[in-house]
Amino acid sequence: MSEPIVEFRHITKRFPGIIANEDVSLSINKGEIFALLGENGAGKSTLMSMLFGMYEPDEGEIIIRGKRERIASPRYATQLSIGMVHQEFRLVSNYTVAENIILGLEPERKILGLFPSVDIKKANHDIAELSERYGLKINPEDVIENLNVASRQRVEILKMLYREAEILIFDEPTAVLTPQEIESFLKIVEGLRQGGKTIILITHKLNEIKAVADRCAILNRGKLVSILDVATTTTDEMARQMVGREISFTTPKEPAKFGEVVLNVEGLTVKGSAGLDAVKGVTFTIHSGEVFAVAGVSGNGQNELADSIAGLVQSSSGRITLNGQDITRASVRERINAGIAYIPEDRHNVGLVLDFTLRDNFPLRQYYIPKFSRKGVINEAAFDEHGKRLEAEFDIRSSNGMDTITREMSGGNQQKAIIAREVDMRTPLIIFMQPTRGLDAGAVMNIHKQIIAERDRGAAVLLISLDLDEIMDCADTIAVIYNGGINKIAPAGELTVDDIGLYMMGVGKTA
Amino acid sequence: MRKFTLSCLAIVISLLFGALILWLMGKDPVAAYMNLLQGSGLMEKARYSGRQNMFTDFMSFLDAMTPMIFASLSVALAMRGGFFNIGVSGQMLAAGITAHMLAGVIPSRVLVVLAGLLAGAIVGALIGWLKSRFNVNEVVTSIMLNSIIMYVITFYINVFYINPVSRQSKAVVDSARLTLSGFRWENLKMDIALAFPLAIIAALLLHWFLERTTYGYEIKAVGLSPKAAYYAGMNVNRTALFTMTLSGALAGLAGVSYFCGYLATIQPGVVPSMGFDAIAVSLLGGNNPIGCVFASFLITIISKGTVYMSSRQHIEPEIASLIAAFILTFAACSAVLDRRKK
Repeated sequence: MSEPIVEFRHITKRFPGIIANEDVSLSINKGEIFALLGENGAGKSTLMSMLFGMYEPDEGEIIIRGKRERIASPRYATQLSIGMVHQEFRLVSNYTVAENIILGLEPERKILGLFPSVDIKKANHDIAELSERYGLKINPEDVIENLNVASRQRVEILKMLYREAEILIFDEPTAVLTPQEIESFLKIVEGLRQGGKTIILITHKLNEIKAVADRCAILNRGKLVSILDVATTTTDEMARQMVGREISFTTPKEPAKFGEVVLNVEGLTVKGSAGLDAVKGVTFTIHSGEVFAVAGVSGNGQNELADSIAGLVQSSSGRITLNGQDITRASVRERINAGIAYIPEDRHNVGLVLDFTLRDNFPLRQYYIPKFSRKGVINEAAFDEHGKRLEAEFDIRSSNGMDTITREMSGGNQQKAIIAREVDMRTPLIIFMQPTRGLDAGAVMNIHKQIIAERDRGAAVLLISLDLDEIMDCADTIAVIYNGGINKIAPAGELTVDDIGLYMMGVGKTA
Repeated sequence: MRKFTLSCLAIVISLLFGALILWLMGKDPVAAYMNLLQGSGLMEKARYSGRQNMFTDFMSFLDAMTPMIFASLSVALAMRGGFFNIGVSGQMLAAGITAHMLAGVIPSRVLVVLAGLLAGAIVGALIGWLKSRFNVNEVVTSIMLNSIIMYVITFYINVFYINPVSRQSKAVVDSARLTLSGFRWENLKMDIALAFPLAIIAALLLHWFLERTTYGYEIKAVGLSPKAAYYAGMNVNRTALFTMTLSGALAGLAGVSYFCGYLATIQPGVVPSMGFDAIAVSLLGGNNPIGCVFASFLITIISKGTVYMSSRQHIEPEIASLIAAFILTFAACSAVLDRRKK
């Protein structure tokens, strides 16, 4: 058995109103892949942030390579050769890969033996070599903004490797990746381990843990539940321990009862931000009581499709009708009033005003209706009452009730708040765009139940997701989007995951 | 609450800093600070000249404070709406000259206020329009407009409107001036700021407007997250334009209460520094309208009490300005600190 490289001893960390970690003790061995599993707010990220020096524990100690350390800053953590890839990447988007990686550690050379300058050639060469060694396939001279998410993540990995990190922490690394990208990511992780690195994965995707991890620690509400040997534990068992109750991975649902056509989209074409057509002549209908799910690899026009139906982006041609009413040229507000609820993908910048209180965020798309304001004067009691009702009904947890600034809430609770707000509008059409991205199994199950409940209440549901499991779980009708066009539309029962995978890659293009 | 603590901290630290400097100069900091209060009519002076007492000093103090309240409200509103209105000075000048010209034709205080409101609003709207229509950074346009307005007005004053003795503009007629200058009451002679109640009402109204109306809700949402505001179905461009128009109108009120009130003339070739000080005052007040009133109160104590302090303690007035500058700098720092903690 190899020796422990990181040890947490009786770690406790409190935030105002919340105990993030309570008496957590665990040790991680050199050269293993160690997974941290737990629901949102279970304290995984907090624990790792302490290892990376972003917080200091209130109680307990951290031992690195047998020596007790006080990790006061990420800088010191880097000196201890600890590296972390955060959920949101920290890259300068108009710099090249190499420039990003060397930032703060620029190799110097003296022009004419006198004037110091950055030796970018050496950096490019070193990074290319590193990339080669770990099979990362990154060109150091590419500019970050031209890279896709998966490549950016690999740049973050290179950044750690360049700093000679031995202990690599990944915070929800696969949340933003497609199935194919996840596969290659897991291979990279495997390669890193063979290179002698110790890897800590913060995740709640059980399959990934099963695929690569050696051991996993399960946290629940800040406390360590158990440390499991992955090879001898089933995913069901892990899931049960994580949520503290049995969960099933399929949402129980009645057969769908389709009603009238609610949304009719005809030949919809939408330009993307680059000025090219991102959605190309898409046609489909959604009935009342139907979950219409759009599968596809990231970046095939999903965002533009959702935004154009919700009115955030205007289409360049085609027609959108809602309950027979032409809304092709309607504004966002007109569409809200016509009955479109929308859960956007970007919950931080679009779905919420992060610096508003929870109370002010709930009526964000309805504040002007008579219930909330009269003649421009806000009815505060109604704001408060509405918020408290949603908070209770949707089990939204926050440290400070209605006065909580939403920025301070966990991602899962932020998403719950958005879904609560939109679902509560009881609209004939509701659009879910990547509703469970980055959420844990318990929350995912909950959201899936809500999607089905919306359907059963008679709403038309448009679900756009990169997660095939989610699509299989919820959909009544599945459409596959590829390169801006809808490749295939079929009842859910008629397609297997493999079929969908093929259509997602553009194979079997029929129309 | 946090903001309040930080602002108080900024004040305490800078006063201590100022005290240190005074002490190093061999002066008595306590006495100097008491002089500031005395000069502002908040403490009894040892001796008064004829027709003067603590009350008249206090009235002059309010007269100086009035434009600062308006100016800081203008900045605060813009900040809440996501704008950095560094052009308050230019808007003040535009309002001041418009009111002067109008008062020359029809001397009426109501018209002076309305003219200021309107002139400031137009300049503010121009900045807001350039931003929302062409996405031109408001900092650039407002700094440029400060210069443009100042030079146009300087030209106008020098050519048509100069008092050759004082090298200032001609004075606004008393019947249109927002400060009753040399008003006699009992055996006292004082300046009464007629616009002061208006400033307090403006602060209360603005607070109510921001916190209790849908327009305020929209302004704050657009200021904090334009994308989320757009998603919420708000008209982001219209809200931005409205914010800057209103901010300009408040700056206009600052302009008339300064150039047609506290002062009666406009000095050509000078951009009033009040528009810039107002930025720090607004930050000190946490960009909150009520906070702005208190912050203006504090800063005016220093700016107004300086004269008395320098004469009593034989300190150069620059030292007092230095202390005021410290407070404003620390206030700005505390605002940044607040943002970083999040």
